[in-house]
Amino acid sequence: MFELADQSGSDGIASHLQYWTYVVDESNPFMQIHVDTMILTVTIATLMVGFGVWLKGKIVEGAPEGVQNFMETIVGFINDTVNDNFPVHNPMIAPLAFTIFIFILLCNTLDILPAYLIGYTASLISAIGSGHEFVWGGHMPSFHMRPVPTNDLNLPAAMGVSVFLLVLYYEFKLKPVHFCKELLLQPFASLLLDARNPIVKFLGVLIIPVNLILKLVEEIAKPLSLSFRLFGNMFAGEVIFLLIASLLLGGGVVATTAGFFVGLGWSFFHLFIGLLQAFIFMILTVVYLSLAHQPAEH
Amino acid sequence: MSIDLTFIGQILVFLTMVVLLWKNLYGPLNDAMEARTKKIAEGLAAADAGKEAKSRAEAEIDVQLKEARAKAQEIVAAAEKRAAELSEEAVTKARVSAQQIAESARGEVEAEVNRARQSLRQEVAAIAMLAAENVIGEELDAKRHAKLIDGVVSEGFGRA
Repeated sequence: MFELADQSGSDGIASHLQYWTYVVDESNPFMQIHVDTMILTVTIATLMVGFGVWLKGKIVEGAPEGVQNFMETIVGFINDTVNDNFPVHNPMIAPLAFTIFIFILLCNTLDILPAYLIGYTASLISAIGSGHEFVWGGHMPSFHMRPVPTNDLNLPAAMGVSVFLLVLYYEFKLKPVHFCKELLLQPFASLLLDARNPIVKFLGVLIIPVNLILKLVEEIAKPLSLSFRLFGNMFAGEVIFLLIASLLLGGGVVATTAGFFVGLGWSFFHLFIGLLQAFIFMILTVVYLSLAHQPAEH
Repeated sequence: MSIDLTFIGQILVFLTMVVLLWKNLYGPLNDAMEARTKKIAEGLAAADAGKEAKSRAEAEIDVQLKEARAKAQEIVAAAEKRAAELSEEAVTKARVSAQQIAESARGEVEAEVNRARQSLRQEVAAIAMLAAENVIGEELDAKRHAKLIDGVVSEGFGRA
């Protein structure tokens, strides 16, 4: 416990913001894996799929009850959201939105577990597994375990880029000519298309690279904003949890009491933030894909 | 905060999860919901069809009731008419019968009066003859003096 208290300062917080990393190639910073993120996401994914397989055998067509009723509420909510935003029927969109919403919500909800619980538990397991003699209050092994996968930029970025690739796929599949025209001519299309003066038309041709850069920035902003919004919110939330924990563990009675109540309040608020971020990611995915499905205007 | 191999791993996890959850969680739940929605829609359509059939049947019943009422009124009117005819016929028959009875009675009375007259005449004749015998002191022969006696009686009855 004293060890935890010692770690609750700024150094402690910094150490808890590091990942459990497996380095494949030290010369290349890309060649490393955040083992904690992988373990937690694979665990959550496995639990979700296992839950799905379990529920699949219990689904009834009559009046739903219990877990089925709860899950049908979520599926109905997702279906309504997709149907409200989508101009055409695409059977893949609702399952995608459903997975995004549930997965991000579960990942975010891990944040309300006590700040050092997962890391400390993993340290104990690591200590026992590596044959170290473990003494309560002794030194923790130099071991990091981030509890919330959405705090790792890799996860929001992976989801954001996946969604972006899907958007590009549908843009090229459904309206390739229109999308290429938009890439090359927007926002200065009138220079080339509407102008009668040949000099202005030539200027319109010259400005095509500028159009392309502006359009690429606009398109790339979509996955970036998706990823960094989720990452930023959850990262900030975790930092605040760690600060509250340092208040709880490192101060006197007043600080501990204040830390408890502030922590409780922040837990509820952060639950709401997690739900909101999951919804925002899901609804923006649906909106981006919906824009890609919109018929081209001539 | 860096992008590394975890990014590739997360893409694989995410896409695999989309496919597996689609097949194992979203798909079955959505199918069950669609089947239920279809069943409810069919039930509602059947209820609507039932309501429509009920209103059609009610309209048909109304028409049949009106027809039946009209027919019943016709039957009642015909029966009333027939009853009136029968009544009138009976009255006419009774009247005729009564007239016949009256005439027959009148004939009988007349015959009876005639018989009574005849009887009376005979009695009066006998009395007259007896009186005349007493007056003239001589026995009268009824057969011989019948003409005379009848003349007297007829004269007497003619005055009466």
